[in-house]
Amino acid sequence: MSDQSNQTTYWKSLNELAQNKEYKNFVEREFPEDATELSDQVSRRSFLRVMGASIALAGFASCRKPVQKILPFSRQPEELVLGEPLFYATSMPFQDSVTGLLVTNVDGRPNKIEGNDAHPASTGRTNIFQQASILGLYDPDRSRSPLQNGEKVSKNDFAQFASDHFADRNRNVLFIDEATSSPTYHRLKEELLAQFPNAEWVTYEPFSDQNVIEGTQIAFGQRLRTVNHYDNADLVVALDDDFMSPQAHNNSVENSVKLTAKRKVESTDDSMSRIYAIENAFTSTGSYADHRLRLKSSEIEPFTYALAAKLSESVDGLAAFSGVSNAFSSHRWIDILASELLANQGSSTVSAGFDHSPTLHAAVAAINYALGNAGNSVTYHSLPYRADRNEQQAFFDAITELKAGVFDTLVMVGTNVAFTAPSDLDLVQALANVETKIHLSDYVDETSRVSDWHVNRAHYIETWGDGLSFTGERSVIQPQIQPLFDGLSEIEFLSTLLNGEISSGHELVQATWSNFLGSDMNRAWETVLHDGVDAESGFDAVNVALTSGFASEIAPSLSSEALNGIEISIKPDERIYDGRFANNSWLMELPAPMTKITWDNVALMSPATAERIGIDPERSFKDNSVPMVRITAGDTSLEIAAWVEPGHADDSITLTVGYGRNNLGRVADGVGVDTYPLRTSQELFFRAASVEPTGNTYEIACVQDHHSLEGRDMIRTATLEEYKENPDFASYKSIHGYEVPGIKEAEAEGDDRGPISLFNENYGPEYQPQWGMTIDLNSCFGCGVCTIACQAENNIPVIGKREVGRRRIMHWIRTDRYYAGDVDNPTAYHQPVPCMHCELAPCEQVCPVAATTHSEDGMNQMTYNRCIGTRYCANNCPFKVRRFNFFNYTKEYLTTGDDPEIIQMAMNPEVTVRFRGVMEKCTYCVQRVQRAKINSKIATGSKRPEDGAVITACQQACPANAISFGDLTDRNSAVSRNKQNDRNYVMLEEINVRPRTSYLARLSNKNPELA
Amino acid sequence: MSKTYEYVPEPALVKGNYDFKDITAMITDINLRPTPKGWYIAFGFANLLLLVLLGSIAYLFWEGIGIWGLNSPAGWGWAIVNFVWWVGIGHAGTLISAILFLFRQGWRTAINRFAEAMTIFAVMCAGIFPAIHVGRVWVIYWVFPIPNSMTMWPNFNSPLLWDVFAVSTYFTVSFLFWYVGLVPDFATIRDRIKSKMGKLIYGTFALGWRGSNRHWWNYEKSYMILAGLATPLVLSVHTIVSFDFAVSIIPGWHTTIFPPYFVAGAVFSGFAMVLSLMIIVRKMYGLEDIMTVDHIEKMNIIILVTGSMVGFAYAMEFFIAWYSGVEYEKAIFILRATGPYAWAYWIMITCNVASPQFFWSKKLRRSVGFTFFISIVVNIGMWFERFVIAVSSLSTDYLPSSWGYYSPTFWDISTYIGTFGLFFTFFLLFLRFLPMVAVAELKGVLPQADPHNYDEKGEYVPPVVEIPEPYNKPSKNV
Amino acid sequence: MKTSDSDNKLYGILAEFRNPKELIDAAKLINEKGYRHYDTFSPFPIHGMDKAMSLAKSKLGWIVAGHGLIGLTGAFYMIYYMMVIDYPLNISGKTLMNLPAWIPIIFELTVLLSAFGAVFGMFYLNGLPKLNHPLFNSEHFKKATDDGFFVCIESEDPQFEQEKVLKLFKDAGATNIESIFDE
Repeated sequence: MSDQSNQTTYWKSLNELAQNKEYKNFVEREFPEDATELSDQVSRRSFLRVMGASIALAGFASCRKPVQKILPFSRQPEELVLGEPLFYATSMPFQDSVTGLLVTNVDGRPNKIEGNDAHPASTGRTNIFQQASILGLYDPDRSRSPLQNGEKVSKNDFAQFASDHFADRNRNVLFIDEATSSPTYHRLKEELLAQFPNAEWVTYEPFSDQNVIEGTQIAFGQRLRTVNHYDNADLVVALDDDFMSPQAHNNSVENSVKLTAKRKVESTDDSMSRIYAIENAFTSTGSYADHRLRLKSSEIEPFTYALAAKLSESVDGLAAFSGVSNAFSSHRWIDILASELLANQGSSTVSAGFDHSPTLHAAVAAINYALGNAGNSVTYHSLPYRADRNEQQAFFDAITELKAGVFDTLVMVGTNVAFTAPSDLDLVQALANVETKIHLSDYVDETSRVSDWHVNRAHYIETWGDGLSFTGERSVIQPQIQPLFDGLSEIEFLSTLLNGEISSGHELVQATWSNFLGSDMNRAWETVLHDGVDAESGFDAVNVALTSGFASEIAPSLSSEALNGIEISIKPDERIYDGRFANNSWLMELPAPMTKITWDNVALMSPATAERIGIDPERSFKDNSVPMVRITAGDTSLEIAAWVEPGHADDSITLTVGYGRNNLGRVADGVGVDTYPLRTSQELFFRAASVEPTGNTYEIACVQDHHSLEGRDMIRTATLEEYKENPDFASYKSIHGYEVPGIKEAEAEGDDRGPISLFNENYGPEYQPQWGMTIDLNSCFGCGVCTIACQAENNIPVIGKREVGRRRIMHWIRTDRYYAGDVDNPTAYHQPVPCMHCELAPCEQVCPVAATTHSEDGMNQMTYNRCIGTRYCANNCPFKVRRFNFFNYTKEYLTTGDDPEIIQMAMNPEVTVRFRGVMEKCTYCVQRVQRAKINSKIATGSKRPEDGAVITACQQACPANAISFGDLTDRNSAVSRNKQNDRNYVMLEEINVRPRTSYLARLSNKNPELA
Repeated sequence: MSKTYEYVPEPALVKGNYDFKDITAMITDINLRPTPKGWYIAFGFANLLLLVLLGSIAYLFWEGIGIWGLNSPAGWGWAIVNFVWWVGIGHAGTLISAILFLFRQGWRTAINRFAEAMTIFAVMCAGIFPAIHVGRVWVIYWVFPIPNSMTMWPNFNSPLLWDVFAVSTYFTVSFLFWYVGLVPDFATIRDRIKSKMGKLIYGTFALGWRGSNRHWWNYEKSYMILAGLATPLVLSVHTIVSFDFAVSIIPGWHTTIFPPYFVAGAVFSGFAMVLSLMIIVRKMYGLEDIMTVDHIEKMNIIILVTGSMVGFAYAMEFFIAWYSGVEYEKAIFILRATGPYAWAYWIMITCNVASPQFFWSKKLRRSVGFTFFISIVVNIGMWFERFVIAVSSLSTDYLPSSWGYYSPTFWDISTYIGTFGLFFTFFLLFLRFLPMVAVAELKGVLPQADPHNYDEKGEYVPPVVEIPEPYNKPSKNV
Repeated sequence: MKTSDSDNKLYGILAEFRNPKELIDAAKLINEKGYRHYDTFSPFPIHGMDKAMSLAKSKLGWIVAGHGLIGLTGAFYMIYYMMVIDYPLNISGKTLMNLPAWIPIIFELTVLLSAFGAVFGMFYLNGLPKLNHPLFNSEHFKKATDDGFFVCIESEDPQFEQEKVLKLFKDAGATNIESIFDE
């Protein structure tokens, strides 16, 4: 193993950080498992090490209620009852948009995040970044104080410095910030620019919808926000656009909610929209699409022009493309897409991935315009807060000036340019030309380390702020707790630079909002805090028209050709985005939606490509090691683990960024490989590269080792037509051709519960509800947010790469991903699998100490303090959903470190933490069930809460609304209605365990011409 | 036409002509004479292994089950495999002393004593694993119906609980059986040993036995009843162990053939283990005349039979998997033979089905060296049988998404090796301090013991084997 | 033959015979003469000795049966109490009275108690353990567990008369005769 792979394989242990020789011998020993003495320390303590902190903080256990008045959410009692959770509305800023959230706050400790129904970008749903941000709040590795040249100083020292330094208003100051939509922020920005005549202000995001906006500039002559309304689109064409995934689209939650809503099927009368995905890597969106075409990134552009050309034959407005003729002009898909689009004019959306060129986006805009989608299924909105220029170009220019020594002061707000900026800018060297560098950030990161001043940023859950949703609705960010590490928010930071003194975020925000709310400020203010959003606000829709110069402006690009040979495509990571979430262990340990890899980034390639460069496309079932490849692009070269992904475009390799960090935090350090060096300002997203295997191997912790269904019926699918012909297609009978053995005999005895059984089973008494769940596979696209939500709700520990590699992952709900069909271009199916809560649970009868039994309301329950850990129940579970504490994961995770109180604050007080040697599993969120039952008992005297009173964590988070949960004895409950759906089926019906969790078979809306 | 038969008389149970005194001396002198150097060496080695066991267990308790290679799906690994393996070995002793006793197989007397000893020690080794393999070993006592602060009781529906009762009962009964057999021999040593201490100790264990025939009368009755009880017990134990698998719903486990199949396997491995030990012991202590080649041959025949039964069971599993039409059942058996664990599967077939077939040849049956070799091979094979059953079914069961490979860690292996330390420590102590052959019983089967072999003057006349007339089928036309 | 010092109570007279046959014959003879308090000793059980001494059928069978019955019913009621009466639980939806699943344990406990009966019952009937016994005072008697065959007629036998007994033994061909005293 090379040194590098060595560093990255064994991702965490103090010895290893110290590059201890002995340790190296250890990890290279012949008996890999033999390394337990050490490695278990590693894996077990990892989280703790991660969580352990170096500075003791006073008075953490005590709750830290914010001083300003924040209002509890209406559905909860206004006054604080100890132990009773309160729900506060706030919103999470992510780049230049915010998503409305509700934060569960117990005794002043925020410990769970959920979506805000009232907020358009959430409609009550969330994505993994939002769910995991609660752990980000309690990350003890966050920077804890301002630093001057690496020395700890106080906030006031910084304020003092600011007032001295910025007393001279004629300084040449360069501001570099991240995209933000905060009105208060922009107000302060304007004031600063007004005060500092020689100041320049640029925004840099390594990944953003920059090019989409530039596209509208080319097409319509204005920089606009493009919003696709998947809820009124019958046809969706995604050109390398993974719009359902949070890393690929800021508005993924809203997109997913709308798209899946359009594809809900309750009966044979319903219809579905049709999705075409043309993409490079196999993405969640691609796996959800009805038809998928593999094209490498550089082929997307010519493909799109060919499509536009085809369309120009039938519709006006695309004349610019009429001349185009390229490799794809005769492609089978072009005709099909064209006829489909023409058939759905005004009710289709065409969209392209953020990492494609402005001209491609211009072409897409033109197509939508020409097809009459603009204003219907696609709308365009003005972006008032955004400077009317190409921000990215502005940034590049600013750096050039920086090198030229134009600026004496550099202020960096949040952004981590030293890590994320294109390699050819050579930013670190550029920074050397500035006397004073000030950096605000969450962590002491790559940029902080080259700055003179580092200021620790407060987490959004700790501070006042505001922001606009993707479609412009205004929200206030209200703090849930006093800043743990006493940091400054962006707005407090800016006002400090402006005024030389620290002023409270609360006042800053109110000052801004007084303009919006006008008279009766307080009342309106309270309403906004309470609802979490100002419903009246929003970006104005713009009626667009192609600019006259469009044809000439786009002409030069039309001849673009695909790159020859192998190309690399560099994407934001599914879990840690551009690296900003790199120290979040929930995200790190979340299996990537398609590859199911944890704790690493890899080079994705198709089986064919793997074979061509000399890598065995088959991965060994017996160990975790995979071959490594050396990727060389331009003058940069790096070694990274190769991962064969069926369905990936050939001659293309997908890499993700954000890994390979040093001294950032105990989770991030030494995990994966930093791929940013492969990006240049000219080729930010994809470029030609050469690849060859190095012969080294690398351990990858992947949670799924087998990817074929083996012809089994866990997943049941049909096309919409097949479903309409045979609504019963998902039943055991129509799959196997015969009834489930014993079902007739049971029916003969008038038992409709399942196959005949030797016993007269016990069922819960009448006065009890009987809980059940359905999961709609026609909605699930495998994002994994249910897993994170469950982890947050149920105090599920993180166990580290090595333990995951030993197949000991603790997640209570996992998402299985199966490939079917042609290995080069397979279909992928996602199937979330929590505990099935079988009525005749096989796990229960085998437990020698009756530690797992059935409750009266039909739940399969684990009695943790009775469990002795024989693991017999897990063996006898046909669904393998039971999780065992092989080591004392939780205790270590909650007690190690100098100030464990921090991570302890993240725990949900309503859920027991599990000890070493006990079994655990999905409880149907029994704590929520009990709360609802108690409330209903108090309110109505009945133990049966009304439908919808219990919402499980996974159900609540799911942006596809795939999960429904409720009382099966209530025939009208949502879950009962789903169970009556034709597509309803349970796994392994024939073994007669009678799962309470059932699935709705997946449908696809195939185009007969392609099917 | 009439055919002539060659009549093979039952071989004498004891070769050479020894009288009672010689027998007593030959066996009990081993315990009375000073300890040989070789014994100390062997004992020292066994103790080292025992330390390995204790060390492994200590570390296990300290760190947790995670130090083993277990995972999800494979919640059981070497520990359970070793448990079943040791219990299986523990079947030979009681089987020999009980079932062969009921069938009046005189030849058992030469070997039953140390076969029983082997049983007891093997069951001790077996018992360790279920006890230490649990996640929270400090509350293992919850499996017994003892009133506790939770006011909860164990779950009597669980095969694992059946196991607890079956194995502990089996151990207790085997031990009593063994001890009852030892009492007269303790008395013999008591009466021969010189040292005061020895007299006291052996005397105490002899309980004051003085060979009274009024006592012998109840004693034989008791022995007979114990044999009658131990017979169904020995069959029930491995039956119940097999329920751990058969009662579950995992493909490849959920099979009705398991009880007979497991019992046959147990006898198979048990006899193999007895042979391995016996072949060494008879050489070491010069007991070839008591544990004769005829014994070895008889046991090899049993190995051949049970081995073939096991082979039949393997074939039957496959047939039923196909015949049942259950796709998961089919899949698991195909996977066993061709999947990730095929290597283990074929080791199992070779050792358990192929190797015993050599014993069709009388020459090989009677070859001591070859028997020793096969007896080892068989025990390896039987270990792999349990490995294949336990691990392969778990690692590739219903949902392909959860399939995962299991491999042991250093600690799995050291714990297993360690149990040999425990076994041999006890076995060596047994060889040293207890009569390894049932002296009284052996005397009882000598011809001199039969009053009919004496003439009027009370002189001994050795019995003559009279050869029966060959039976000629009478021709029809007579 | 030796003479005894009078202060020591005579326990009985012990005679040794050469082999099982002579022992059986002697036993027959003594039995016919009507002695009751006597016993024969041999290193192993001798077939036919029970007839020769006309020993009553052993009561052990009943003891074992009794224990077995206790095991059977006891086990059943224990499980019934724990699973049905004291702490009923819904396990895999099975009926509380899940008899088939109880059979193994009921069986095991039946066997266990029977075995106790068989072993300890036998010791009880034989009056063991009894670590000291007048017979152990005879050096000679040690052979009884090796290759000696002995008869002993005890002094408390109603028709015990030293001379008669000595004569009887001589006629029966005893190789060695000695008197056994208490203490």
